[in-house]
Amino acid sequence: MFLAFAEIRRARLRFALLAGAVGLLVYLVLFVQAITGNLVTEFIGALKNQSAQVLVLGADARQNLEGSRVADDTVAAVARVDGVDEAGPLGEGTFTVRAGGSAREAVLFGHILDGPGSPTTLTEGRLPARDGEAVAADGHDGDGFAIGDRVVVLPDGDPITIVGVASEANYSVSPALFVSYDTYVAARRTVNPDARAVEPSAVAVSVVPGAAPADVAARIGRTVDGVEALTRQEAVERSPGVSAVRQSFSVVTLLFYIVIPLILGLFFVILTVQKTSALTLLRAIGADRAQLVRGLLLQVAVVLVAGVVFALGLLAATGAALSAGGFAVGVSLGVGTLATTLGIVVGLSLLASLVSVRRMLRIDPVRAIGGAGTA
Amino acid sequence: MRIALRELRRRPGRFVPATAVLALLATLLVFLGGLLDGLFLGSTGAIRAQRADVIVYSADSLDQFLRSRIDPALRAEVERVPGVGETGGLGVTLVGARVPGRDEPADAAVIGYELAPSGVPDTPAPGQAWADERLRADGVEEGDTLRLGAAGTPVRVLGFVDDTGYLLQGTLWVAPATWRTVQDANRPDAAVADGVFQALAVRGEGDPADLARSIDAGTAGATSALTRDEAIYSLPGTRQQNSTFTGIIAATVMVAALVLALFFVLLTLERTALYGTLKALGASSLQLFAGVLLQAVVVSAIALTVGISLALALGGIVPAGVPLQIEPTRIIATVVLMMLSAAVGSAVSLRRVIRIDPASAIGRTT
Repeated sequence: MFLAFAEIRRARLRFALLAGAVGLLVYLVLFVQAITGNLVTEFIGALKNQSAQVLVLGADARQNLEGSRVADDTVAAVARVDGVDEAGPLGEGTFTVRAGGSAREAVLFGHILDGPGSPTTLTEGRLPARDGEAVAADGHDGDGFAIGDRVVVLPDGDPITIVGVASEANYSVSPALFVSYDTYVAARRTVNPDARAVEPSAVAVSVVPGAAPADVAARIGRTVDGVEALTRQEAVERSPGVSAVRQSFSVVTLLFYIVIPLILGLFFVILTVQKTSALTLLRAIGADRAQLVRGLLLQVAVVLVAGVVFALGLLAATGAALSAGGFAVGVSLGVGTLATTLGIVVGLSLLASLVSVRRMLRIDPVRAIGGAGTA
Repeated sequence: MRIALRELRRRPGRFVPATAVLALLATLLVFLGGLLDGLFLGSTGAIRAQRADVIVYSADSLDQFLRSRIDPALRAEVERVPGVGETGGLGVTLVGARVPGRDEPADAAVIGYELAPSGVPDTPAPGQAWADERLRADGVEEGDTLRLGAAGTPVRVLGFVDDTGYLLQGTLWVAPATWRTVQDANRPDAAVADGVFQALAVRGEGDPADLARSIDAGTAGATSALTRDEAIYSLPGTRQQNSTFTGIIAATVMVAALVLALFFVLLTLERTALYGTLKALGASSLQLFAGVLLQAVVVSAIALTVGISLALALGGIVPAGVPLQIEPTRIIATVVLMMLSAAVGSAVSLRRVIRIDPASAIGRTT
């Protein structure tokens, strides 16, 4: 034990380089995961955290709410399908609004108040009760989306008063505003004087108690023409970008996971080989195998702890830099994700150090006599 | 020098682990770069292709096509600004396009244009389109008639153009009238009257940034004029993507340098006795370090070859949803970065090589 620490003290540069490399890699894995998770939430949070269990999109929308339009009479047609409790129009659109004194982006989610499509993660205030009221995504208090603030859809819409805030309710990296369907229609007309009709983006559906949303969605798809019915989960997963982001970043994460144990394993194998003669001597004067292995594992643990501390420090610094730089997507990580990632890193690293352990176990103390084992 | 090379040849085994790690890092670098390029180039092609100095949006749009609206009166104001030459209207609609013989519609960006972007022929007749190569993957062929959106607006494909994607969708370059038909039929709430566009491509004299400023001044703030580069980076997500990926790539390069440094420090340590002897025989520190550097460069070169090949192979098998695009420039950049990090990494051993005392060769073993 004492030897293991003494060795680290004597060879600070080597261990610092290794801990630095491991730390940077752990940081990268955590960073990529944080970005993936937060990016996805930023893109589809509002869709995930609204009350409609089934969303009926236009068949040509390519499963993208932003590009979807359904005919007005589709709402009634969907309402007649077996298993549908309530069906209401849902309007979604990105608008430029004046909030907190400047022009900003906001995504309006227009729904029938008290009907499907209302926010489910209200943290403060209340749900809108009439036209011109909204629940806004939280985290934008300073931007003019706090309770009591008024926002105006440019160029000259009627003011919308924020009466509540909901968590994880962004959409396309902009704050969502849950408003009445008529408020949404009015916003469309404000923006475009040439507008002919304002059609719903989708039909928001709640299913009767006990019915499975997937079954109801399938039935709607079969019986109503020109639509594609998705469960809430499907609508989230198939949103543009979500699967592309997930797949791309999972390949990157996988590669990082391979590199970490490789570097760590490589380092300790070389170190063990270099120390073979000393280790042989130690064995000859009575040190048992377990002692040597414990020393090695202790060093692995020291490197991992130093690396992880370094990584977490970097992550915190990045988070501070990003929020100072005004980036919407932060690097906060759930405790579960953090624990899983670190668990995988530690597990793989221990696995990689087994190669060194094996070498250590094969050392024959007899070789200390005669010098044959000093090579 | 010759000893260094000979060691590599005679004992390749000792360099394999470091080479393997570096090769993986090279794969990572190319892969990350390929993702960044794929996302960036696929999203921005339609703007990069514009032969315009300035792109003009309406002020309320926050520089987004889909929310911008330039009516004929505003366009006339822009055209009156001194220095403004030709102007051309632009309008974009993102729709699903039904391809003959395919069940799944393709993602398309229908762009109406007046000034031909580079690589795109002049505006076709109404009902016809130049299609981006990207759409070939969805089964689009020359002469096909695509049906756009729920309304099924027909458009016939005249031929293909390259590198003009918009937000990772294949562009269909059409006449303004065709665009308006598609927009009005599929987005009645965003219908556009005759003569209305979303943005203007402007050619003019002088510095584009100055021109942009005088356009905004000339319209009393009703427009937001951007240089073409600014317009590229105002596309949703582009700037964030770039900074995120550049950060990850930079950190990965640092890891490569650290790994190399670590490996050669260990190697130098092993050779302390040998270096002492060589110094006693007259070898200079510089000569010895040149050997280390040479080995680092050779190891990196081999790692790069393996790593880049692996990345290219990986590029062939990734799912179609991953927007990977491996560009020759990216490969060159990776080679340069890795070689630099090899040089920097091996330099950490320099101090150790210098400190070795030739006198240690006599009497002491290490």
